[in-house]
Amino acid sequence: MHEVWGIAALWLGLALIATLLSLWFRIATALSEIVVGTVAQLLIGAFFGRSLSAGEPWIVFLSGAGAIVLTFLAGAELDPDVFKVKWKEATVIGVIAFFAPFLGCAALAYYLLGWSSQASWLAGVALSTTSVAVVYAVMLELGLNKTDFGKAVLAACFINDLGTVIALGLIFAPFTIKTVIFIVSTIVVLVFLYYITPRFFKRYGNRPSELEAKFLLLALFGLGSLAIWSESEAVLPAYLVGMVLAGTVGKDHALIRRLRTLTFGLLTPFYFIRAGSYVSVSALFAAPFALFVLFMGKMLTKGIGVYPATKLYKYAQKEAVYTTLLMSTGLTFGSISALFGLNHGIITQAQYSILVAVVIGSAVVPTLIANAFFIPHYLLPERKDEDKK
Amino acid sequence: MLKKILVAFDGSNQSHKAFDFALELARRCAGAEEGPEVTVISVAQPPELSEIVEMDAVIDNATNYYKGLHAELVKKAAEKGIKIETDILVGHPADQLIRCASEKKADMIVMGQRGKSGISGWLMGSVSKRVTTYAPCTVTVVK
Repeated sequence: MHEVWGIAALWLGLALIATLLSLWFRIATALSEIVVGTVAQLLIGAFFGRSLSAGEPWIVFLSGAGAIVLTFLAGAELDPDVFKVKWKEATVIGVIAFFAPFLGCAALAYYLLGWSSQASWLAGVALSTTSVAVVYAVMLELGLNKTDFGKAVLAACFINDLGTVIALGLIFAPFTIKTVIFIVSTIVVLVFLYYITPRFFKRYGNRPSELEAKFLLLALFGLGSLAIWSESEAVLPAYLVGMVLAGTVGKDHALIRRLRTLTFGLLTPFYFIRAGSYVSVSALFAAPFALFVLFMGKMLTKGIGVYPATKLYKYAQKEAVYTTLLMSTGLTFGSISALFGLNHGIITQAQYSILVAVVIGSAVVPTLIANAFFIPHYLLPERKDEDKK
Repeated sequence: MLKKILVAFDGSNQSHKAFDFALELARRCAGAEEGPEVTVISVAQPPELSEIVEMDAVIDNATNYYKGLHAELVKKAAEKGIKIETDILVGHPADQLIRCASEKKADMIVMGQRGKSGISGWLMGSVSKRVTTYAPCTVTVVK
């Protein structure tokens, strides 16, 4: 038993280091944890000839729970009122923003890199996501989150990510009677949760026994189990539950804060460090061409998908470029997709490493470019006026 | 002469000094006429590349933190007979200060210099340097 506590201490020590690094460098904790996981695995392997024990069942559980709860919280960030008003535009932009990199990157992986069809589809899925947070940050900085355009683009990001989780949940699952049972059961549970949850919480919630967290975890783990049983992915129902409960549970700030504590304090460090520990640095050095192709593929297809949409709304040139640049790959769904592929034998460890590196690169590089060349000149009203002219 | 003063406030000792300087400046400028408007701006800065859940958590946390500090500043200013406004923005501190100064047509930005350098300074740039370079008005950096 002492080994279990020792490994737990090691992982939480790594999580602590990752958190400190994220504070010093002002970067996302998820990114920091992935990198720390990769470096720790490399060092422990080189000096002690051991692994980080990422395959231990309890680590797999904590890691999986992290992905599920984080995905639920991401879905719960949706603003249903915004979506109701702008659902047409959001759906059009979101579907384009999903399909352009999804099909483009899958085609590049298949035709140019010679990956298998399954591995190519997975590459498409992993690189199809958009970081809602990065787009939201841009909207907040520019004060566009209250404009029609901003609302439509934000809602579109959720549609984009919904496309990713649906693709991940259904493309790789063999369509059998189990799939039908999973889909029908999920729909029934979602309807049930939509109507029952607010009333149930109102009657029994807000007590120290944390009934809300137990209820939500029951729903998420139950649907997750059903998803895995049907050979789908547990994050699919989690994201849907989050979206369905966004207007009720999502607006309960105290509950969301408590769930965040559980998620960031214990669960997600295990998920992201584990995701990082499977990255093979030697595989990255061995395949610079694959890295370059998928990275450029992601950038170009994203540009092709998003830039025309921004121009459709008569956006000023610099705003359009800035927004397009920052519609980066989401670390969460990108890494979840890649890890799903690795765990199910769809991709090799080398392909996994390339995908994770591209997911990180396609988030880091555009942000650095955008920050270096578009801010702060771009934010000055005089310059904005010039652009509009 | 001075009609609108923006004070950059992040809760640090240097930003407290900047606030005191702005209050003193406003008091001296007042004379017989109405003094300049003083607006305290704090910026919640989400980490780069964060996911929506983490970003929302950071904004939520920073908003609560600054609300408490702003209440103290309002009280302190009221004791000196000066009425101030406060606001919490989201984004890169330098960019938001510049943007806010432009929108409010501020005559001066008063800010503290924290002297932070190293890797984060290299990556993100010094806030005071960025503001003094691009601000549309006079910038006073309090040391």
